[in-house]
Amino acid sequence: MIEKILIVDDSPVARKMLKNSIPKDKGYEIFEATDGRDGIKKYQILRPQVVFMDLTMPDVDGYKALEEIRKLDKNAMVIVTTADVQPKSISNVMELGAFTLLKKPAKAQIIEEALSKAEMALKGEK
Amino acid sequence: MNDPATSQTSFSQDEKDILQEIMNIAFGNATADLAELIDVQVILSIPDIRIMGFTALPKFLHETINHGQQTAATGQKFRGEFNGTGLLFLPLGAERVLEKFLSDSQRDKLSKQEGKDMQTGLLVEISNILIGACVGKISELLNTVVSYTPPELFTEGGNDYEFLLEHFDTEQTAIVMKTLFQFDQQDFHGLLLILTNYESVNWMKKALIDFMQQYED
Repeated sequence: MIEKILIVDDSPVARKMLKNSIPKDKGYEIFEATDGRDGIKKYQILRPQVVFMDLTMPDVDGYKALEEIRKLDKNAMVIVTTADVQPKSISNVMELGAFTLLKKPAKAQIIEEALSKAEMALKGEK
Repeated sequence: MNDPATSQTSFSQDEKDILQEIMNIAFGNATADLAELIDVQVILSIPDIRIMGFTALPKFLHETINHGQQTAATGQKFRGEFNGTGLLFLPLGAERVLEKFLSDSQRDKLSKQEGKDMQTGLLVEISNILIGACVGKISELLNTVVSYTPPELFTEGGNDYEFLLEHFDTEQTAIVMKTLFQFDQQDFHGLLLILTNYESVNWMKKALIDFMQQYED
């Protein structure tokens, strides 16, 4: 069951857009990280069930952060949210183990559907 | 007291953050469109929003991209509530490298469309795709529509940008949306600039608020 969600994005606007598009009635605890390095650190501390990860970020980008988080936890569920929807970018993140990829700006309904799929996948794991 | 020219074009940090995210989304979409033409991945960087006088543009460009390197500059103007110019800078010779990534069928198609000069045609086409898709996405997100002038080659092989001043009202202040990018496994960078001026600022400020309104609690 999803209890904690971590949003990793260097843009405060993107974090706000995503945070306010996540359903309020599910009781999710939402945390934020301001870049890939911060995301890896907060993943280790918080162990969220779902991570929303941007790709284009300073210092440690989303590809590296996704890779590192999957090394820490091979079951980590990372939903990539990005404007970079080039076919090669999509195939790269899927090869790195992303759960799915959402094109920015993702509408609330798309986010809700992705979280429902994540919830089902988590139930299937147990 | 604030300088009237500056206060007219000033953006708050929040407004710059929104514009930066919109530019990020727009350029990401533009590169996906470009991937349909040339089979090479574009490595994106974080967009930067700056406000400067048009007269400062040549020095800014020199420091940002070329450091003496010769570049080709292409671009096109767009008109509407969102009003300005898109400019694409690539190092001289990039078109020869990028041409290799065209598939044969596309090469044939482009040759018919663009005439004899394939490489110049490719530069103009890349410019058209990136600027059109980027400005188009910004316009879509900010709920407006623009029209475009045809893309054109401003200079091929120059290493100073004074020529740009002929194309702008140098009394004006430019809002510069800058995105540096690199082609995967190619040793060169490109620069996309979307320039707009104070005539668009009041509209843009309202459009940015309206855009964020849909994500407010």
